[in-house]
This record gives sequence, C-alpha cells and structure tokens, in this order.
Amino acid sequence: MNVTIQLIGTFQIGRFKEAVREYPSGTCVREVINELRIPDPLLGVVLINGIHAGTVDILINGDTLCLLPFIDGG
Amino acid sequence: MKFSTTDPASEPASILYARCTVDLKSGSMHTEDVPCRNLEDVLGGFGRSFQILSERQINTAYCEENPLIVNTGLLTGSSAMTGMRTYFSGYSPLKESKKGLPAAMWSTGSGNFGVKLKWTGLDELVFEGRSPKPVYAVIRDSPEGPVVELKPADHLVGLSTHAKIMALQKEYSNAHFAAIGQAGEQWENVYFGAVGLSTDNQLKSGEDKMRFAGRGGMGSLMGYKNILALVAQSSNKIKPLTPEVKAVNINVVKGGGAARLQPISRGGGGGTWAAYDVLQAFHAVPVNNFRPQGNDLPEKLFREHVEKQFMIKSEACYRCGITCHNNIHEKSEDGSAGSFLAKFDYEPLNLLGTNIGIHDARQAARLIHLSDNYGMDSISLGVTISYVLSYNERHPEQPLLNGATFGDFVKIEELITQTGRGKLLEIGRGSKRLSEITGETSYAYHVKGLEIAAYQPETNPGYAWAIAGGHMSMGTYGLLTREGKSDIDSWVTGITQTKLQIVGFDMIGLCKFFDITKGICTQMVVDCLKSEFNLEVTTENLAAAVRRAFLRGLALELRQGYEKGEYTLPAEVWEQPNPNIKLPNITNPEFMAELQKRVWAVFEPEMAGLLPEIE
Repeated sequence: MNVTIQLIGTFQIGRFKEAVREYPSGTCVREVINELRIPDPLLGVVLINGIHAGTVDILINGDTLCLLPFIDGG
Repeated sequence: MKFSTTDPASEPASILYARCTVDLKSGSMHTEDVPCRNLEDVLGGFGRSFQILSERQINTAYCEENPLIVNTGLLTGSSAMTGMRTYFSGYSPLKESKKGLPAAMWSTGSGNFGVKLKWTGLDELVFEGRSPKPVYAVIRDSPEGPVVELKPADHLVGLSTHAKIMALQKEYSNAHFAAIGQAGEQWENVYFGAVGLSTDNQLKSGEDKMRFAGRGGMGSLMGYKNILALVAQSSNKIKPLTPEVKAVNINVVKGGGAARLQPISRGGGGGTWAAYDVLQAFHAVPVNNFRPQGNDLPEKLFREHVEKQFMIKSEACYRCGITCHNNIHEKSEDGSAGSFLAKFDYEPLNLLGTNIGIHDARQAARLIHLSDNYGMDSISLGVTISYVLSYNERHPEQPLLNGATFGDFVKIEELITQTGRGKLLEIGRGSKRLSEITGETSYAYHVKGLEIAAYQPETNPGYAWAIAGGHMSMGTYGLLTREGKSDIDSWVTGITQTKLQIVGFDMIGLCKFFDITKGICTQMVVDCLKSEFNLEVTTENLAAAVRRAFLRGLALELRQGYEKGEYTLPAEVWEQPNPNIKLPNITNPEFMAELQKRVWAVFEPEMAGLLPEIE
C-alpha cells in the first residue's frame, strides 16, 4: 500500500519533508516511526489524515501520516 | 533553611527559613528564622509568597502596604539541574479584576541571581513601603549570617537592565544581579516592567544575555518601591554532586524530560522555537493579533530560514545541560559568530514578530532586544502592540498613537521605544485598559487582565484558570494541539487535576524544562530532596501541596473581585471563529459554559478555608 508521509520541523533533517512510501498491508504507525528512526522522546503528535492518532494505529492505502515534534512552553 | 525533621509534610514547623524584612522608608531591616506553616512554605516560591500576600487586603498595587517578595525555591542553588529560579511576588499593577482590584502575581526567571541569593543564607526578602530615593540592595553572606544593605542608586537611574547589571559588576565581584530597566523606573506609565537576571554568560561576554522574570509587572512594582537593582554576593556553596542527584540530572538531559529541548546538533528539537513548525502544521501560529490566515507567513521565521542569514548559538544556563537557548548572532564572513542580536524563544519571537506582522528575523531580533533592555515583559508588550495594530487596521481613518499597522517596523520600533521610556501609557498599561478606553474589548487578547501567551486561545480554554499567566501556570496549552483532546471530560480533568500541577515548578526552584510534562511530583524530585536535605517526601505529599497552592491562588483571585464571568477568553474567538485553524473548534460559548460549570464544581469546595480571614 502507499502512504504519504509528512515530517515536520527537525524530523526533516536527514530525512525528507514529504514522500509517498510503500508499506505492507497492516503496517502500524510505530513501524513507520521505527523505520524512520525518529526518537520517541522527540515525537509529539501523530496525525492520520489530519486527525490525531496513536502509534498503534494501523495505516491503510492512501493515508497521509504526519509526524510532528513535541512542543514545550515558550 | 534549617531542618530539624526529615518529614516536612507532617512537621513543617520543624523547618525554618531565613527571611529579611526591609522597611524601605526608614531603611530598617529585620532578619529572622521563620517556621514553615505547611509544605508549601517549605517548597518556597509562590507557595510561600502567596500565603503572605493573602494576609493583606490590597486595593491598589502602587501602595506602601503592597510588599515585593523576592524568594527562592527549596532546590534553588542545589546541585539539581535547573535549580536556579528566583521568584518575585506582589499584587500586580497589570493584572486586575473588572472591579479594579489588583491580583496577586508572581513571576520567575533563571540566571544566577537566585543561586547566589540562596547562598547568602537568605531564603526570602520582603520589601515593605517605598524608598524616598532610588536605591539598590546588596545581600551578602558573612560569618554572622546574611547581611542586607541599601545603597544609593543615582548612578543607575536611566540605565537599561543590561547596563545596570554591567555597572554593578564593576563594583561587586563574585556576585549576580537582578535589575529593572527604564520601563520599571517609569512604573506610573508602564505596568509590565520586567526584572532582568544576570547570567554567567552575560557577565563574561558583556553581551546582554539575561534571563527575565517578566510576567505581571513585578519590575514595575520594584520601580515603584524605588529599588533599581539587587546584588547577591556570595562564595559558591554548591554541595558535591551525589550519585542520586547525578542520576537525576542525567535523566533530565537524556531522558524524556528535556531531550526535545536539546540543541538540534545533539539530536534534540532545538528549544522552544520548534513550536513554530508544529503549530504551523495546524495553522495555529498567532499572526496579526491572533488571527492566523491559513498561509505560510509564519514560516519566514522558521529556524531553517533564519539560520541561512544568522549564526545560531545553542547555549545554556550555568550548569544546565538542557541547553535550550537559541542566541542569534550576526554571521561573520569567516562563518563565525559576530555580534549578539537576541535570544529566540518561541513567545517573544512570535509576539514581537509574526503576531505583529514582522516576518524579518533581524527586525524581530531588534524588537526583542529593545524589550529586554528597557525591561518589559515581551508577552504583554507584544500583545498590547498587536491590539493597537489591529485597532488601526479597523480604523484607518482615526488610528491610535502613531498609526502603526501590521508589519510597519519603523513605527512599531518607535512604539516600543516610547513605551520603554514611559511615554506611551496607552500601551504601557496593557491591553485590558486600552481596550476599555477604545470600547473595543473583543480582540484584546488578555485573560483576567494579563496578556495571553503565543498559543491561540482557540486551542486553550485553560487560559481562563491560569493564575499567573496563560502557559506557565496552567499546562493545558498542548491538550488540544498535542494530545488531540476535544471532549469536555478531558478538559475538566486537565484543568482541575493534571495540568495545574505545572505550577509546582514555581515553588521548588526548578525550571519547567526539568520535566515539563510530569511536573514536580516525581521520583526524580523525591530523590533530589532526600539527597540534598535528607527529607522524606512522597509524590502524593508534593501533589497535595502544589494543588493547595494553586487553589489558594485561585481563591485569592476571587477575593480580589474576579467574577466567574471573567474566567473566559477574548470574545473574538467565538464572535468571529477563525476557519483557518485546522483543529476542532472547542471554544464555542456552549463548551465554555459547560467547562465553567464543571471546573468550578470541582474547585470551589476545595477552596474553602484556604485563605486567612482579614479585616
């Protein structure tokens, strides 16, 4: 299946901003995070098709997965 | 502090803190060891100062009965990482109820002043009355205990925060400093004066790399009292690092707590500036007085664009491994760092940048530099200016002041300069008062008289219950954006249970970045208290004390005339819902009404009896 991956902020460094990538059916968000080597402490928000989601959620063909860093005060 | 017990929750009176009360009018002072009344007193910060403030009925901030309380937290000056906080408390000249009564307020900052103050042996300074002439106070350690002196400050009058600190550094070695700028000196016309706190980096480099206690105008209250600066002079008294605290400190830096605030070069997120990228994904970066336009304008101040033009130095507070500072320097021809321009934190950068239509990093840096050096709270300053610009956009035929509009750097710079010099009371007295004069209050972005932080109110109904500034005394600013919570139950729980715990940091002397998501009620803090002071405290003890302190602050607001209707958001949020923000719309009147009903149902029964009776 094809999933569009969007990376925000520092997650783009050494990776990409947006890419369509192919995954086996049944792939969950956690597997994508691991594949991209995004450190857990930095991960703040997971969106699937613009809706907040969890790392255990299963992706389906055509989804857009957006991974955002944590935000902390100012 | 003096400890005669290991159980501060059950036997707080067996712990004494050293307090010096200074009568500014007569110059007399009295130092005493005061027994703690409860765990809040032991922890310190606003947990203690608000109990002092609650014993007084104050009807106007600028009166001799309103004290300025300068204190530290239990872990200030300890070997626990980030233990550098100083707290300034009093009734605020800025934050007031609609009845016109001032709210109790604290503001806090890091820098090395608090550490030095703690090492003098003093835990708290209470300044009473008002000095007839400008003075500065010197607090130093001596074999007989802490000594406090008042000294003439004529040579400091009219200097910026940074210049005052550098002038005092020439006179005092082995010292750190807290100073107001020209804005605090012009307290009658500037209600949001800040206190600049010196850093090692500043004193060594000569660059104006201060930290600030900005919120609520404690610098203005200091100016009213004619105290222009404080000097804390002491030898270093940090205890040797124990294995237990060392383990905590490693966890702070490398564990979940603050890893994301580390420099990008260390695999971190790059400090609070990173919030720009995240919030922009939702079109929730404040633009032009909190009206995001659904476009890419905020991206102009993204780090990736700024670093093409400038050198960004990742720096830290003394002994802090978090390294969350992003200091912007000119880039020299050889690629090295040139002159220092400003520190880019999310709040000042947005509120003196994107939210006033400034999208050029050099211009934003200039405005932040001015705000810091005049000694103003960048949040209140930025938001009040954005109100003026919004008004002028709506009334081009009859604008306010110099007619500045969004993005007009030259005129905005003039507004900031004139405000800092005390020449523009329209801005200097904050957005609440100005909007009441114009009669257009719906787009004045304050809550309870205090300007909101750079998180859209549409994303944070919790602003209404923050007791000392929107994002630092109610940790709900990420509940919708980060956690995706849009149901009423999550918001009631967030406000009344989990997210209020953020204020614990403003008691114990640690920076919020020690562990911002979990607060102070953790095994890490328990381990630090055991190792540093041999205190046996449970996380439940800590949580209960933080909750009491928060509720005491809320009760104090009600006693100062706040009505339930004031626990709300700027009306524009629901009068003109912003369709550009890509998050569920929870800030409609129905949601807020239900939230108010349910939050007060939890809080009110617990608030009974928290305040002393006063005549």
